[in-house]
Amino acid sequence: MTQLLLNITPDWAPTLDNFVAGRNVELLSALRHALAGTANERCFYLWGEAGSGKSHLLQAAVQQARALGQTAAYARSTVPDAAQVIAVDDVETLGDAAQVALFDLYNRLRESGGMLLVSGTAAPAHLHLRDDLRTRLGWGLVYQVHGLSDEEKAQALERHAQARGFVLPHEVTQYLLRHGRRDLPSLVALLDALDAHCLRLKRGASVPLLKEVMQLNREHV
Amino acid sequence: MPDKTLWDSCLSFFKDSLPPQQFNSWIKPLGFELKGDQITLTAPNSFTLKLIQDRFLPEITKRAEAFLSSPPCFELRIGKKAAATTVRKSPASIIDTVQPTPKVQKSQNKLNPLLSFDNFVIGKANQLAHSAAIQVAESPGTTYNPLFIYGGVGLGKTHLLQAIGNHIKHENAQAKIYYVHATNYISDVVRAFQTKKFDEFKQLYNSLDLLLIDDIQFIADKPGTQQEFFYTLNSLIDGHKQVVITCDTFPKEISGMTPRLTSRFSWGLTVAIEPPGLEMRVAILLQKASLSNNPISEDVAFFIAKHVRSNIRELEGALKRVDAYSRFHKRAISVELAKEALKDLLASQNKQVSIENIQKTVADFYRIKVIDLLSKKRTRVIARPRQIAMCLARELTQLSLPEIGAAFGDRDHTTVMYACKTIENLRNTDTAFNANFNLLNQTLRN
Repeated sequence: MTQLLLNITPDWAPTLDNFVAGRNVELLSALRHALAGTANERCFYLWGEAGSGKSHLLQAAVQQARALGQTAAYARSTVPDAAQVIAVDDVETLGDAAQVALFDLYNRLRESGGMLLVSGTAAPAHLHLRDDLRTRLGWGLVYQVHGLSDEEKAQALERHAQARGFVLPHEVTQYLLRHGRRDLPSLVALLDALDAHCLRLKRGASVPLLKEVMQLNREHV
Repeated sequence: MPDKTLWDSCLSFFKDSLPPQQFNSWIKPLGFELKGDQITLTAPNSFTLKLIQDRFLPEITKRAEAFLSSPPCFELRIGKKAAATTVRKSPASIIDTVQPTPKVQKSQNKLNPLLSFDNFVIGKANQLAHSAAIQVAESPGTTYNPLFIYGGVGLGKTHLLQAIGNHIKHENAQAKIYYVHATNYISDVVRAFQTKKFDEFKQLYNSLDLLLIDDIQFIADKPGTQQEFFYTLNSLIDGHKQVVITCDTFPKEISGMTPRLTSRFSWGLTVAIEPPGLEMRVAILLQKASLSNNPISEDVAFFIAKHVRSNIRELEGALKRVDAYSRFHKRAISVELAKEALKDLLASQNKQVSIENIQKTVADFYRIKVIDLLSKKRTRVIARPRQIAMCLARELTQLSLPEIGAAFGDRDHTTVMYACKTIENLRNTDTAFNANFNLLNQTLRN
């Protein structure tokens, strides 16, 4: 008989504090300054490979802005309504009309002193967007978000496990890094699946259980 | 009443009513001083100052009124507690701005005082446009009307447009000047149509002394807006009121624009702004950096300008990145530091512009084969594109001249030098050729 799980896993939300900075320390500091109003430049463009942490940072910035009492909005593949802090994820997925809307929003935010964060997978010069928008994205502070090294990923996974309330043995982390997909979101998803599996079986996390989860995942695919 | 008591009361109120994060970020760093009925609030930066003005001033005013016998007079400053920049003074003006502001203000359609002729860097690429703008600013409505400025993105068209407005405003404070981006003009037309207030709309535009309209290409494929703009343009020009228009391309080449409008655009003077050369990019960087308190040397400016060639916005972006890197690492700006700061950006650029990429782009443009570019053929149809590709390779890659020569069918480096010289001469004498070269250059850079 399988143990059913109550849907009471601790809420996890991306914040600036739970972002494992790795080589992105300067970017993290620049975002904190801009959000606190202690930096002049308030338009950011973050680019990097999928899974490098762009969405985490954008969502975290919006969350932080709200905590500071500002209106903030996060959107993916669309341009949100007016707010003091706006984050637009995956800019390359914007259609023609949305690109015009973002262009207009950029100009308005720049005038009103609002903050804009945009993310994409390529540096501004290589974005396939309207020229006027592309050049504007390159006008503010541009940062490449660097993915984590294996050690940093291990650290991030252990932190995540801790936040969910279980201990991740070193050998499980190592196995995960050797055999799982390389990007952090996939690794975190696998870890969450492992946690659920452990709870169902009322056992601690171990390599054999992880293998079972990975096997189950493969069967589902 | 001692100022401490009033401020303490404000502090304890905000401490109780705001989350600690907000209190510590916005209220705690404020400086407070009371002299008679004059209250001076000092904020550490303009952002905090604006936030205080928008969100917290009404409460502070309310408390001050209870403490003081007469209505308080506020002074908001930026700085550290004592001496700083005064922003506003009279109580009336403060009260006026205290109303809850919209989340993001709608575009103000107003001039940006920071964009003036004084801080516009002049070079070969924009000399003509600059002279025309000066003439128009000095005698609006009489010399070139409309003045049509066109050029690629991020080359300074808006700066010039705004500089004209600021100059005229300075000369004649009463002049009715309206700066509008074409997208906002479209919104104005749509709003007038929806609210049936076309008379007001027409009255607003027809009463102007100067209309500055940015990025007119946005009204392409919008016949209704074009018709309205046609009437506005005619009315202003007939009344000898100045119109200045910017666009990303030559009037005749705007697709989706009615011919009667494009012909009106060419009535006055049409001037181009071209991409800035290396020296001009250096000058722009030095000028921008001089405005910050983290100046850069010529070496650093040269390094950035050499590597960021696409447009002025990205050039400015690169400078900001270097500045942020220097502040974060608490190191003075040097060429070494600029290299580190722009490492990611430069790596991403180098990935793209390869000599093969240049050869393919040029061959496609002139409808010849890449293999012809590398062959021994010397007919004009082959040799000219080859020279262009060589010249672009010198400009866009870090390869040495012998390496470029070798990549074009094992030619000598002197052939590359000759090609570059020929292309330079042709660019100076043949406008169409120059336009094609710029197009190829921009395509490759982007």
